[in-house]
Amino acid sequence: MLAPVPVVRPGFPVILKLALRNLRGGLAGFRIFLACIALGVAAIVGVGSLALALQDGLGTQGRLILGGDVSMSRIHRPAEPNELAFMQSQGRVTGVATMRAMALAPNGRAGLVEIKAVDAAYPTVGAVVFDPPGTPAEMLAAREGIHGAAVDPALFARLGVPLGTRIKLGDIEVELRAGLRSEPDKLAGGVTFGPRLMLSQDALAATGLLKPGTIVRWTYRIILPEGAASEADLLRFEQAAQAALPDSGFGIRSRTNAAPAFVRNLERFTQFLVIVGLTALVVGGVGVANAVSAYVDRRRKTLAVYKSLGATGGRVFAVALTEVGLIGLIGTAIGLALGSALPWLVGWLAAPLLPLPIEPHIRPGQLALGALYGLMAVLAFSLWPLGRAHDVPVSALFRDEVARTHRLPRPVYIVATVLAVLGLAATAVLFSYDRRIAISAVAGTAAVFLLLRLVAWAVAAVARRLPRAGRTELRLAVANIHRPGALTPSLILSLGLGVTLLVTIALIDANIRNQLSRSLPDRAPTFFFVDIPAADIAAFESFLGEVAPGARVERTPLMRGRILRVNETRAEDVQAAERAAWVLEGDRGITLSATVPEGSRLVQGEWWPADYKGPPLVSFDAEIAAGLGIGIGDTVTVNVLGRSLTARIANLRRVEWQSLGINFVMVFSPNTFAGAPFTSLASLTMPHAGSTESEAKILAESARRFPSITAVRVKDALDAVNDVVGKLAVAIRGASGITILAGVLVLAGALGAGHRARIYDAVILKALGATRGRLVLAYVLEYGLLGLVTAGFALVAGFVTARVVVTQLMKMDFVWFAPAAFAAAGGAVAVTVLLGLIGTWRVLGQKPARHLRSM
Amino acid sequence: MVKAIELENVDLSLGRGASRVHILQGVSLAVAHGEAVGLVGPSGSGKSTLLMAMAGLERADSGRIMVDGQDLTKLDEDELARFRGRRIGIVFQSFHLIPTMTALENVAVPLELSGARDAFERARAELDAVGLGGRLDHYPAELSGGEQQRVALARALVADPAILVADEPTGNLDEATGRQIVDLLFDLKRDRGATLVLVTHDPSLAAKCDRTIRLRSGRIESDRPLAAATV
Repeated sequence: MLAPVPVVRPGFPVILKLALRNLRGGLAGFRIFLACIALGVAAIVGVGSLALALQDGLGTQGRLILGGDVSMSRIHRPAEPNELAFMQSQGRVTGVATMRAMALAPNGRAGLVEIKAVDAAYPTVGAVVFDPPGTPAEMLAAREGIHGAAVDPALFARLGVPLGTRIKLGDIEVELRAGLRSEPDKLAGGVTFGPRLMLSQDALAATGLLKPGTIVRWTYRIILPEGAASEADLLRFEQAAQAALPDSGFGIRSRTNAAPAFVRNLERFTQFLVIVGLTALVVGGVGVANAVSAYVDRRRKTLAVYKSLGATGGRVFAVALTEVGLIGLIGTAIGLALGSALPWLVGWLAAPLLPLPIEPHIRPGQLALGALYGLMAVLAFSLWPLGRAHDVPVSALFRDEVARTHRLPRPVYIVATVLAVLGLAATAVLFSYDRRIAISAVAGTAAVFLLLRLVAWAVAAVARRLPRAGRTELRLAVANIHRPGALTPSLILSLGLGVTLLVTIALIDANIRNQLSRSLPDRAPTFFFVDIPAADIAAFESFLGEVAPGARVERTPLMRGRILRVNETRAEDVQAAERAAWVLEGDRGITLSATVPEGSRLVQGEWWPADYKGPPLVSFDAEIAAGLGIGIGDTVTVNVLGRSLTARIANLRRVEWQSLGINFVMVFSPNTFAGAPFTSLASLTMPHAGSTESEAKILAESARRFPSITAVRVKDALDAVNDVVGKLAVAIRGASGITILAGVLVLAGALGAGHRARIYDAVILKALGATRGRLVLAYVLEYGLLGLVTAGFALVAGFVTARVVVTQLMKMDFVWFAPAAFAAAGGAVAVTVLLGLIGTWRVLGQKPARHLRSM
Repeated sequence: MVKAIELENVDLSLGRGASRVHILQGVSLAVAHGEAVGLVGPSGSGKSTLLMAMAGLERADSGRIMVDGQDLTKLDEDELARFRGRRIGIVFQSFHLIPTMTALENVAVPLELSGARDAFERARAELDAVGLGGRLDHYPAELSGGEQQRVALARALVADPAILVADEPTGNLDEATGRQIVDLLFDLKRDRGATLVLVTHDPSLAAKCDRTIRLRSGRIESDRPLAAATV
């Protein structure tokens, strides 16, 4: 007996060489593979790069947005002389006051305006653009005793007045001298409900609107001296301010953190879009798996030749994997290039419309992440079909096989596939903004994917067992659904995921819109009135009784305050859960009440007696308290109206925020603010839905008789929110469109793969006398049946997913919106049938003779 | 004396269940080192399957297959592949060259797979030996059928195998080209001292062998030296 054969394993260079030689045949057969990977990677990298471009824009233009290096702001009170002295000791200071007020036009129309009162130095950074052009001094100065104002052009339309009109603001008239085209610091202001009205601080003082307790935000921007404005200096400033002015109630922001709420929302939105991009990658993965499966079939002989020449199954697999990996790299590279270009494209196309600075750059981090996602997806979806390359029989070189058995690949490839899928999921979770949501999204996608596979298997199994249909067309359609190499799994998987996502988004969108507009007529107030001075309460309530007889009026004291400490921990150091962190950032509305406010119920502890006289107590929203990690007995220190006070949590409430009634996170015992000059907030709920005219009348009359009281029409406020939701919905639908596009690509690939078999069928049937009409009918039936099953699944899965998101994550009631869901699902059936027919159109035109000769 | 190839009572079936076909039934034979054996018989008699079993490409259900002193039935699939790479050269009827590789690369593949450093030098020499020294960088599609089969011959011989198996090596060639290939095959076999087993329907090719084995319905019908053989 001879010595055993020595084991010499060819190294990776040889395998790479062989794979590269195989690729000389070109990328035909891999176009769908490339498109699927490129699309998914481009979506992920594009979204990430765009978000970073926006964040960088905010970062580098932070000084412009903030109006200085640092800003200090608080509500109710301007800076005291000692506070101003501190700021001036640090750098050049300018002040801005912002508040809401009513503007009354000579024609009797009134409207809410967002006032911005600026000093002579404004703007210290950037420029204001007026129409007609001019400087703030020219536009806002008093001429012949009349102050000037510049307004958002929307106000001209809303009040129905031209430039030059004098409108009433509080106790004075101001002249509308210019339209306000842009303000450099607009983004730092946050969401606004009315058009901007800019005037001088002298003018604001003259309006008489600045009453004690009025809700007005005083913001001071400080420009640090040249050479002392580094990031370390910003930090030093913050520390010095906290040491010099403890408990002053000022919120401090620096240019590196100019719009934190916007950045947070941007990150959250980005994550959502990345998840949608991942879904596109997963859908595309089906195309990858199909393409690799077809590749293994196509390269069977070459792989068998390797084996006949001494390559082991493992080596053959390695060559095939390297070849597919190289193509995956090309697809990923295309995706990276396209994704990286997106910020430039958006900057170029949408810059005039985008109120945001955008700084496109190549983002190495995003490129690396995109490459990781792309290659993980290639592995996750190709290892399984590639595993079959291991067992390609060499006998294929000697004889044609009667039927290829698609057995499971060896266990090692199954394990490798599972690991790659887990790796892809782990990448998605690890690099997410909110892991809880990412895990849910990944688990949901995996569940839908597995269910769809199951559905595809069940559909084929049922079709196989159906009794023979009487009509040939139906028989052919049913046979096409279950025959080997049928479109069924590809079509159901690829379109199923995309359509489920579409139905889910349609339902969530419909529910959000419904939440914003539904139930308003019966439950929600028509108006909120802010800044009602204590002295005017009786007169104002009687006015409301007069203009809106029978309407329900609720009134409560309203102050704005900032939480300084929770127990002994400074607010900025509290480790708060994501859902509660917002309470610690900036000013919150707070009130006091002798009884449990309407729209909330006590869940823990006891309410204080009506005549309570002891140390300050506070009632907290239960969910927010849980998020802050506090409960009954803990203390919070707040700065309100210039006073810092500490109150003990006496009880916890569950608040029904959706009622849109007056409610607050914190409700204090009435004695806490005894003697403080706070104003009140009132809501007016009409017994019947009021007409726009009658509401406008109330608005105008209120502005005329109570110029210092600001009226907010709930419909207007909701319209503003609706507008934002609408814009987000467009972006989300655009992103989901990518998933559908990936599905369409997969479908196109699957149709292409089955093309030969279809030509064979069509030719034989035509030779036997079938007309093109009958063939079309058979295909319509096949695609229609598969589309219907897919749509049915997507309706159920989309309903369940949307319901979970709406009720569990958004804490809202879920309503089933059949039109939205059916439109999404019905669209899918139509697309399926149409694409299927387009894909098989060429089949119908084939002349039998040519094919029969070569069969 | 150890035989180059020795089969003892080999049974081999293909397919499953009702479609299972018994291809080889109790086949026993021995081939001496350096011998040239022709397998002949009607279509479906099991010639190609017997050849594949000798090359370790099909597994026997029962029996023993000894090739160059190695019991193939005891090797797993990867060991079989490595054994083939070093000891057996295969020539196919349809050449089975890899279309994306040049003639030189096609011939170098078995050496590359076995980790040889001088794969390309040896491949070049082998192509010279089959008269294709001027066609090294041509792709299979740029070569005639005869040239493709010469490349396939060079590829089968490049690793100096002890056994050469050929499945109807002239089946896809015209008569003149086929004759040239056969001459080349036998010359090379003689030069290397290799053992040759080939399947053929061509009487003139069978006549060049030392011995012919006729199969019918999976069994050996006759096993005779050249002088007594009828094809």
